[in-house]
Amino acid sequence: MRRWLTVFFVGGSIAYRGLFNWIRPAMYIPTMLGSPLFQLIFFTKLGQFAQAQSRDFYIVGNSVQVCAMSSVYGMTMAVANERWFGTLGPLLASPANRAAVFLGRGMPVLANGLLVSAFTFVAGTLLLGFRPGLAAVPALALVVVVTVVSCTAFGMLLGSIGLRAKDFFFAANLAYFLMLLFCGVNIPLDELPGWMSAVGRCLPLTHGIAAAREVAAGASLLHVWGLVLTELGIAAAYAAAGLALFRVLEHESRRSAVLDAY
Amino acid sequence: MLVIEAVDLRRTYRTTTGVIRRRPLDVEAVRGVSFAVEQGELFGLLGPNGAGKTTTIKMLITLLLPTSGDARVLGMDVVSQARDVRKRIGYVFGGDRGLYERLSARDNLRYFAELYGVSGKAQRTRIDEVLELVGLKGREQERVEGYSRGMRQRLHIARGILHDPEVVFLDEPTIGVDPVGARELRQTIADLIAAGKTVLLTTHYMFEADALCDRIAVIAKGEIVGEGTPAALKAGVAEGRVTEIEVFGVDDGVLSRLRVVDGVRAVTVEERDQKQLLVVQCAADRELTAPLLAQLDGFEVGRVTSREPTLEDAYVALVGAGD
Ligand SMILES: Nc1ncnc2c1ncn2[C@@H]1O[C@H](COP(=O)(O)OP(=O)(O)OP(=O)(O)O)[C@@H](O)[C@H]1O
Ligand SMILES: [Mg+2]
Repeated sequence: MRRWLTVFFVGGSIAYRGLFNWIRPAMYIPTMLGSPLFQLIFFTKLGQFAQAQSRDFYIVGNSVQVCAMSSVYGMTMAVANERWFGTLGPLLASPANRAAVFLGRGMPVLANGLLVSAFTFVAGTLLLGFRPGLAAVPALALVVVVTVVSCTAFGMLLGSIGLRAKDFFFAANLAYFLMLLFCGVNIPLDELPGWMSAVGRCLPLTHGIAAAREVAAGASLLHVWGLVLTELGIAAAYAAAGLALFRVLEHESRRSAVLDAY
Repeated sequence: MLVIEAVDLRRTYRTTTGVIRRRPLDVEAVRGVSFAVEQGELFGLLGPNGAGKTTTIKMLITLLLPTSGDARVLGMDVVSQARDVRKRIGYVFGGDRGLYERLSARDNLRYFAELYGVSGKAQRTRIDEVLELVGLKGREQERVEGYSRGMRQRLHIARGILHDPEVVFLDEPTIGVDPVGARELRQTIADLIAAGKTVLLTTHYMFEADALCDRIAVIAKGEIVGEGTPAALKAGVAEGRVTEIEVFGVDDGVLSRLRVVDGVRAVTVEERDQKQLLVVQCAADRELTAPLLAQLDGFEVGRVTSREPTLEDAYVALVGAGD
């Protein structure tokens, strides 16, 4: 068990430093801080101009969704880069527990996602006048943590797909914009065509953002626990799917050398 | 005790050819390879590019499933007991990929130490030990992206033996390493054997195989074409002597005339600048210099030497026989 945990935490964090391409400040600041900041301002101003929803609707939606910058891109890199760096062979030849290796990759991504979201919330407070009230902050923080967890779990599935697919950046880009559109970030789910909102309900973020909006407006956690549990369930499902796909790919690679870039 | 056992191992890769109409194409990379390696033995696997050496090793280290046949390492089946096999073996692949470029050598090693369950206090001492062993001490805090090819190769080796495995698979471990470094690495390999480890090695350097290996199997086109101690291979294939003749401008016609001289087993040509070097394998106890030179009448002939056969001669004869 102790060994499982060190692979999970220590292994996960070393691997993250090795695999996450944007870890240098010159890349990190524009991608992880700059682009979320502009996304926040752009959609909030656009929304205020169109007068479709309240200002906080956009601030909360975008501040939560930007964690996908880390969850989607960071997580995809933290898994898929193994193949392109040629380190997948050594990894798969090791006896390490696959669940500990795979899920451990999520820890630093999760931490980074939280940082990105927190930064964007702070920017919303300082620049756009977001005032949730001090009493709402702990509940909001908890909801954001749960949502970032599920977003990271979704990234794990993307990472596994990226291990097999050649152009994984294409898929990561697509996933980021799909979330922006389908998860009620800037357009309420009811306003979307039925099939789109149905897709949205199966994605991470959707329930978390809805819960975050309510607690930011003063609702108590008791009021939103259904949404939070649903978000957690979605997280578990995606993490399990990501790990399962990783396992299948490992077996396929031994059987038919599909991951043979090593 | 048998440490590595391969019984009629086969491996076929399925690939496709053609861009528009893709047709499946089966590549038979390994076609029925059998061998056994004893505890403490250094076993060499030699063969031309594409012969199936790496494929064979990948099956033994559990990265590839055999299409058919069986393999056991330390008595454990590489398919059904893969995880147990992985714990007790190490492997090193030649080349400069397969490392985390942005991490230092020490962090690369720390990561693999975690994966192999070398944790806590033992980890630090062991990492220092292997860094010392491969001669990277002092540079271990630098990022790997700034490493030269040979330094990367040393790091690969350090990674492969980090968890003190009982069996080590080395696939071209000295590729890209400078002569002095390669000599040190050969010493490291010899030390592994002295410490009771079992090693399977592939290399394209014949002198290296000759100096290190207890036994050698030569593999060509997926099949073993010769096996034995280096001495036995030399004696068995290139029994007798090797005559080397420097000539200028010989053609195929001359070569075929040389090949039919009584007592000649094989003739190969190495191009050297303007001249050519004819390497003639002669049967034992025959003095062929005169009849050979007779066939070369009219050509400019340089130095003529006669020597004992080397492992390379044996290798060339074995691999060439299949063509
Ligand atoms: N992933 C793969 N997919 C398809 N064919 C492959 C694959 N890997 C190897 N092969 C083929 O299998 C054959 C044996 O390759 P292998 O790498 O085992 O040779 P090798 O003896 O290690 O050669 P070298 O000395 O060049 O390293 C070659 O024909 C090669 O093209
Ligand atoms: Mg090879």
